[in-house]
Formats: sequence, structure tokens, C-alpha cells
Amino acid sequence: MLTDPGYLFVQFLNGLQFSMLLFLLSVGLSVTFGLMNFVNLAHGALYACGAFIGYSIAVWTGSFWAAFLLAPLAVCVIGAVLYGVLIRQVRSAGPLTQVLLTFGLIFIFLDAFRVIWGDLALGVSAPTLLATNIHIFGQTYPLYRLFLIALGLAVYLILWLALERTNIGAMVRASVDNAEMASCLGVNVERLFFAVFCTGCLLAGLAGVAAAPIFSVYPGMDLEILIPTLIVVVIGGLGSLKGAIVGSLLIGMLQTFGQVLIPQLAGSLSYILLGATLILRPEGLFPARAH
Amino acid sequence: MRKTFMASAVLAAALTLPAQAADYKVGLLLPYSGVYASLGNDITAGFNLAVEHFGKDLGDDTLTLVQEDTEVKPPVGLAKARKLVLQDKVDAISGIVSSGVLAALRDFVHQTETPLVVANAGNDQMTGERCSPYIIRVSFSNGQVNRPMGPWLVEKGVKKIYTLAPDYAAGRQMIEAFSKSFTEAGGEIVGGQFTPFRKTKDFGPYLTAAAASGADGIFVFYAGGEAIGFVKQYGEFGINEKMPLYGSGWLTSPLYVGAEGKAADGVITSLNYSPSIENPENERFQKDYMAAHDRAASEYAVQGYDAGRLIVEAIKASGGDKAAFKKNLSKVKFSGPRGPLEIDPATNNIVQNIYIYETKVAEDGSTSQEILDTVEAVRDAPNGCQMN
Amino acid sequence: MYYPSKLRSAVAALLFVAGIVAAFQAGYFGKEILVEIALYALLALSLDFLAGFGGMVSLGHAAFYGIGGYAYVIMTMEAGVPPLAAMALALVPCFAAGWLLGIVTSKVRGIFYIMATLAFGQMIYVFTFQNRMLGGSDGVAGVPRIDLTAIGIDMNDPSIFACAVVVATGLVYLVFSRILTSSFGRTLVGLHRNENRMRALGLSVRWYKAMASGLAGTAAGFAGTIAAQHTMFVSPGMMDWTTSGEVLIMVILGGLETLIGPVVGAAFVVLLKHEISEFTNHWHFFIGVFLIVAILAGGRGLYGSLEAGVARLTRRKSEREQEPGKTTAQKNPEAGNA
Repeated sequence: MLTDPGYLFVQFLNGLQFSMLLFLLSVGLSVTFGLMNFVNLAHGALYACGAFIGYSIAVWTGSFWAAFLLAPLAVCVIGAVLYGVLIRQVRSAGPLTQVLLTFGLIFIFLDAFRVIWGDLALGVSAPTLLATNIHIFGQTYPLYRLFLIALGLAVYLILWLALERTNIGAMVRASVDNAEMASCLGVNVERLFFAVFCTGCLLAGLAGVAAAPIFSVYPGMDLEILIPTLIVVVIGGLGSLKGAIVGSLLIGMLQTFGQVLIPQLAGSLSYILLGATLILRPEGLFPARAH
Repeated sequence: MRKTFMASAVLAAALTLPAQAADYKVGLLLPYSGVYASLGNDITAGFNLAVEHFGKDLGDDTLTLVQEDTEVKPPVGLAKARKLVLQDKVDAISGIVSSGVLAALRDFVHQTETPLVVANAGNDQMTGERCSPYIIRVSFSNGQVNRPMGPWLVEKGVKKIYTLAPDYAAGRQMIEAFSKSFTEAGGEIVGGQFTPFRKTKDFGPYLTAAAASGADGIFVFYAGGEAIGFVKQYGEFGINEKMPLYGSGWLTSPLYVGAEGKAADGVITSLNYSPSIENPENERFQKDYMAAHDRAASEYAVQGYDAGRLIVEAIKASGGDKAAFKKNLSKVKFSGPRGPLEIDPATNNIVQNIYIYETKVAEDGSTSQEILDTVEAVRDAPNGCQMN
Repeated sequence: MYYPSKLRSAVAALLFVAGIVAAFQAGYFGKEILVEIALYALLALSLDFLAGFGGMVSLGHAAFYGIGGYAYVIMTMEAGVPPLAAMALALVPCFAAGWLLGIVTSKVRGIFYIMATLAFGQMIYVFTFQNRMLGGSDGVAGVPRIDLTAIGIDMNDPSIFACAVVVATGLVYLVFSRILTSSFGRTLVGLHRNENRMRALGLSVRWYKAMASGLAGTAAGFAGTIAAQHTMFVSPGMMDWTTSGEVLIMVILGGLETLIGPVVGAAFVVLLKHEISEFTNHWHFFIGVFLIVAILAGGRGLYGSLEAGVARLTRRKSEREQEPGKTTAQKNPEAGNA
């Protein structure tokens, strides 16, 4: 089995697909972390929002693509409202305050999902166009998962271009590096943070709706994805696109191949990696801000 | 011996004049919040329907129910059980979804001699080596549901199986029971894995491994959200075209099968209940449940229904004598939606039919279950159970 | 800086007396809730010691609760150690684990410390969950309670047990209060305020952090040994990271860096949860709302707000007293000296 290149390739694709999902979630979180030292534990809840809202839109309109386009926007709006009402007030407070505020949000979202959508898991169908599979190296692979991989890579490319090749990107990088200095140079860091936060929410919502056809939608999905995402962010290093993608690939591949090769340890592997990183490189692999 | 005992109990009930009347209090200890809340609600709905159907002629006796939420946390479940027994002074407790909660309660109900009518939790040990005269299970044991599939598959020509289940006590017990009966019948387990419980949503890596294992089929235990995810991904990877899927019936429960889509077509599973069982009791049960809740009754609802019926019948048979009620709980037998049921005096686990059924998905997406075989009166070996 | 003010001592004494009265007067379920409050109070006050005074905000505190519980179970049920000795011995691995965690994370700060402790807690959780020797996901039942019948105390009596737990909580409170007023405690708070200055003074930051982490872990483990006896059962669920999160919520709702505040917070959250459960299963929602309101209101928490209010009154009083020509005595002089 392990010498069969087709088998290993499919497992590689599995790992890549999980990595891309983690990337969509971690990149927004990482940059808000890096930009304002803001800790958002409710990021997983926004992911679940994307999935639940996507489910409802798909049911109402009968179209997955409508859900795919609208649900992330809806999550973005929710994020903007949260920002205006709550987050703005604690963004300069210490990590403890932020952890607790967003922990409170987790609790509120948890019950809100149960009240609105019930306790049962809900299935979302992949769009007909992608609900098929293709053959690679004598193995069968679902097309929808390839789409997810492509989506992750596309988002990475767009973000890379936006950060490296545009003025806004330069402002973001400057602010992550030194917010005070950027502010002196005329960057409205507050507004920039708001924009970055909303983009993070948009991506979390996108991850939610994109994951729904594979994982189905259920209360508690927010907490399940939150911890791997946080691990990616910390391992990758705060505030950097490179950190988010490398961290996602590391955790995604480690999880996937760990499950297959050393199942006894699969549950602890990512924690071990996190612990080792924190001891050896407390700032993560690619922190955006030099110390 | 058992038969005469039964007969005398029924006779006693018939002859006792309603001179004595008792007020019975039963605690329903179920998860009403947390991941299993929907199961708790289904069992409660079934229990209430049984009281409605069978509890009308209790004579001077009365029955009140007290509901408590376990939150699926063993310490909380135990605290609530203590409250029910010591403060509310209930005569019996019913419910219990999670094996963990059941394990936590075991010593307490045994020591306080409080009858516990288990309506779901399947932990084999609780009607095996850690059995108690006060723990009566009307639902199933993990082994009971899965054992019949072993010989059945071998008989159908399936020789090699790859197994998958979540990595926790119930998952392991289900797979162990199946593997044992399958290998004893001449089959071979060519591989298998236990997936991190409630942490695995992406079954891709496992399905890829199963597909490459060279097995004739895959046998799994998954329930709830995990079942939906697993069956859908089984279809997405195209494995449904080359490797049939078997498992415990929760995999294709009517609660979730709609969300699983086309991939569920042709999946063969075994369980103690299927809505498509044909008997008058099931027809009445399904019809009235549908009328009250606007959805088909699940296997959880039927367990609540039979738990309720067992308690009501025991009350009727006891003529207001609470000591007799405790004893009668394990002596009641009747034919319900699941077919004939009785409690095995050796283990206090239920003796019931196990149905092997195939899920059919029509072109329009509607699903139905076709019963292929009925294994009658499946009974667990005592497995070290010594009553008293 | 910690000081056992009159207000703090008064609130602590009041809660202690209320606990003892409740242990004998409350209904059966009331005693059950009382023990739950006391266990959470132990967790919360030891977490306040670590997070509030030591500046190490941990999301892995529940792991020690589990280590204590499981260590007690292994010693009594596998090794045959008498329960009372097992309770004491079980604290050794708790201290050791806490000390090690402190050493390893001594250079990790802020959100990274939170993540490191989360990872530590989850590792212990996953290890226990998957270890079939430790009962796996089902846990271990039939845990014995300590036997004090020799001196005429029956621990199986719910009132006696609840009373003993309240007394134990009171003792742990006194111990932490004493530690915080000692030079060790003052140095710890100094480290939190300005680590570089303390380092410049030649202190081993690492040693102080390890000791603080070890002590907090020991107290949480002690709560674990009691919890195991209370429910006569241990399961991996007791070390889920959400338990750590709930304890952190209690610390904040009660009042960070006050030591007695977290006890108030524990009582408040447990009682609120039970009250809300009477009419809805969605108690998470209300706790979440309370938490957010408390943070937006300044994050002082219930007791913290009380203390701040009293301090304001006292200040006003002393200002008025200092005004020339106003020499009449106040009618209500004893409002506390916080």
C-alpha cells in the first residue's frame, strides 16, 4: 500500500485539501493577530456561520453557487457588526480580555445555532458540476475536493498579490511591522484593521460554506476547527501570509499522514509540533514582525 | 421456569383488587443540551407516546415524570441521578444515552437499589461483567447489534472486510463484536482503523486506505454527523462503485440518511429497529408519532417508547406494590414495534430481533429501507454477569 | 499587589459561613451544587493566583484537575494506597507537571502562553482519552472516598462531605493568601509587572514562574482528588479545554487579581447555570451575554466592582474629612479599607 505511488498521491491530495481549508481560516486570524494583537477565538464561530447560512441559502435558492457567493458576504457583515459593537472597544485591551470576550461570543453563537438550525447535522450537496470524481493514477478522487484545493491556492495567490503588489498591501505590511510608525506615516491603522478583520471574516465564511458539502453542518463544528486553526497560526507565526500557508501545509500533511501511518499518535501530533515550536521558536516559524 | 414466573405475575396483576394504590415517580435522565440533545428529545417523545398509549388504565396508580439534563457529562449525569433519587425520591430512572454516563451511574443505582431502565447506552459491560439486577436495558448492547452481521456476510460470500469506527469505548465494542463473529464464521479482517472520536470530519485518508486494502467490503460504526460525513465521502471517492459498505444501522438512520444522498443507496446495515418493520404495533407507533411530531419515529424514539411501555406495564402488574414493581420491571414482556421483546434474566439485557436492511435511494432522492433478513431473538452471552 | 483587606477577609468569612450553613441546611441537590461551587472555587482561585497575580493566563488549568483525579484513582484502585495518603501523594505529579510546564513556558508570553497551555491541556486530554489502561473515554467508576470513621466522621454523609469540601476550600484560600503576602508572592507580582526589572535584580524568573505554575497546578489537582471522590468517578471530560475556559470566565466574572473574587465568580456561574437550566437548556447563551457585559463594563467582575465602589466611597470620605472646617465624625465609618 505504502509503495503504491497512486495511493500516496491521493493521500497527498487529501492532506493538501485539509491544508487549504486551514489556510482559508488561519490567514484572516493570523493577520488580525499580527496587525493589532487581536485574539479572536470566535473565528471558528464565523466559520460555522458561513456553513449554516450557506446551508439555508442553498435550501432556499436550490443553488450551491448562490450560497457560495452570498454566505461569505453575510459572514462579513456579521463580522463588521461585531466589530462595531464589541471588538473595537477591546482591541487595545490585553489578550485576556480579548480571549474572554470572544469566548463569550462562542457561547452565544453555540446556542444561537442550536435555536435557529436545531441539533441535527445538516447535509449540503456539492454543485452538480463538481459532484463527480476523476481518475488519477488508477485512483478515484472527488472533483469537489480538487476545487477546494484550487480555491485555497487561488485565495493565496490573490492575497499574495494584494499584499506584495498594492498600496494597501504595503500599508498592511508596514502596520503589522510597526503600527505606531505606520500611523505617523499617515496610515489610518484603525480603518485598515477594520478592513483586514472583515476580510478575515469573509474568508472564514468562505471556508465554512466551502467545507459544508464535505463535512456537513452541525453545532459544535466551530470548536472543532478552532483549535487546529489556532495551532496553525501560532506555528506559522503571527501576521504573515507565508506563516499561514506553511503552517497550514505542515498541520494538514501531518494530520493526514499521521492518521494513516501512526494512528495511535494522530490525536497528539499537532500538539506535539505546537509544543516543540513554542519552546524552540516561541514567535513561530515566520513571524511578520521582527523582534 | 421463566414462563411460569411470568404467568404468575400476570395472574397476580389480574387478581389484585385496586385496594392498594401507589404514586409512581420516574426520572427521565437524558441529554437535553450538548451534542446528543436530539437523541434525548426523541427518546422523551417516544416515552411520552407510550404513556399516552398504555398508561390510560393505571387504575388508582399515578405516574409522574421528572426530566433532568445530563449534558452528556458523566459527573453531571451522576449528580442529577442523585438528585432524582435522594431529593425527588423517584421509583425508577429511565433514559441514558451515553455509555460514559451509564458507567458513572452504575454503582450509585446498584447501591441505592434504584431500577434504571436504559433506553440507549449500549456499553456491553453494564449487562456483562458489571451487570446489576437494577440495570435493565430495553435498548441494545453494542455486541448484540453487530454480532449477527458477521455470519450473515460470510454467508453472502463476503470474505474480507476492512473496519472503521470512532476511537472510543462504544466504537471499539461494536467493531470487536463484529470482527469476532465474522472471523469465527470464516471471514478475514484485512485491516482497520479507529478514527479520533468527534475530531474526524475528513474521512478521505481512511477511505483511501480502505480502498487500497483489497477487502471485499467495509464495515463501519458511525452515527450522527460522522455518519453523514462518512457516507457522503464514501460516495465522493467513488468507493461505492467498487466496494460495498456495511455497518451498524445508525449509519443509515432515517434521521440522517436524507442528508447522505445517493451514496447511501445499497448500504447494508443491522439494527434493532427499522421504520419499515411490518406489524400493527409499528404502524400505530409510526402513525401517532408522525401525527404528534411531524416526522418519522427514529430508532431512539422506539427505545424511549418501549422503555415507557415497560415501566407502565410493570406498574400495572404490581397492584400498587412498589417492591413488586421493582421486580416486575425485568419480567414484563410484550410485542412492540420492534417485534417480540423480553428481558434476559441472566443479564437484564433485552432479547430482541436484529434486522438486516438495505437502504434504497430513489431517483428523486427519497429513501426507503428494505429488510433483507431478520435474526430472531438475539441474546447476549452472560460475559461474566452475575446478578445480585 | 495582594493585601488581605478587611473587605476581602469579610467576604471570604461570609462565603465560608454561608457554605457551612448550606452544607447542613440545604436540600439534597443544594449540597450537590455546593460541592460543585467549592470545586470550581478551588480551580478559579488557583487560576487567579497564576493568571491574575502571576500574569500567566492559562487555558490548560483543567488538565491538573484531571491529573489529580486520575492520580488519586490509580493510587487507591491500582496501587492500593490508603485514600488519605493517596490524596496527598496525588499532589506530587500535579506539582511536577505544573513545575515542568512553568519551566518550559518561562519565556513564552501573552497569547503564546495561552496557546502553549492549551496545547499542554489537550495533550493530557488526548492521552487519557486514548489510553485504555485509564478507562479511555468511559473513565473509571467506583472511586473510594477517604474513610474517617475512626475519628467519627462519615464521609458518605452528604452534609459531612459538603462541609469537608468547604473547609478544604477555605484552607486552600488561606494558604494562597499567605503565599501572596510572603516575599515569594510579592516577587511573583513584581515579575508580572516588570519582568526585566526583576531580572536585572538578579532573580531567576524561570524558577519563580515554575514554582507559581507548580503551586497552582497542585491546588487544581487537589480539587481533582476531591472531585473524584465526590462523583466516585473520573473521566477525560473533566480536562476538556472548555472546562479551563469556564474557570477563566469565573475568575473574570468574580474579579481578577483579588483571590476572593474568583470564588464569588464560581458561585455566581454555577448558581446561574442551575437557575437558567430550570427554564431553558440554552444556558451557554446567558453566560456568554453576562461575560461580554462584564467585560464591557470594565472587566472588574462582581467582587472587583464592589471593591472599586467601596474604594471610591472611602476616598470620598477621606477627602471630605480633610476639608477644613468639617470635623464631624462620619455616621458610617466602617466601609472597608480597600
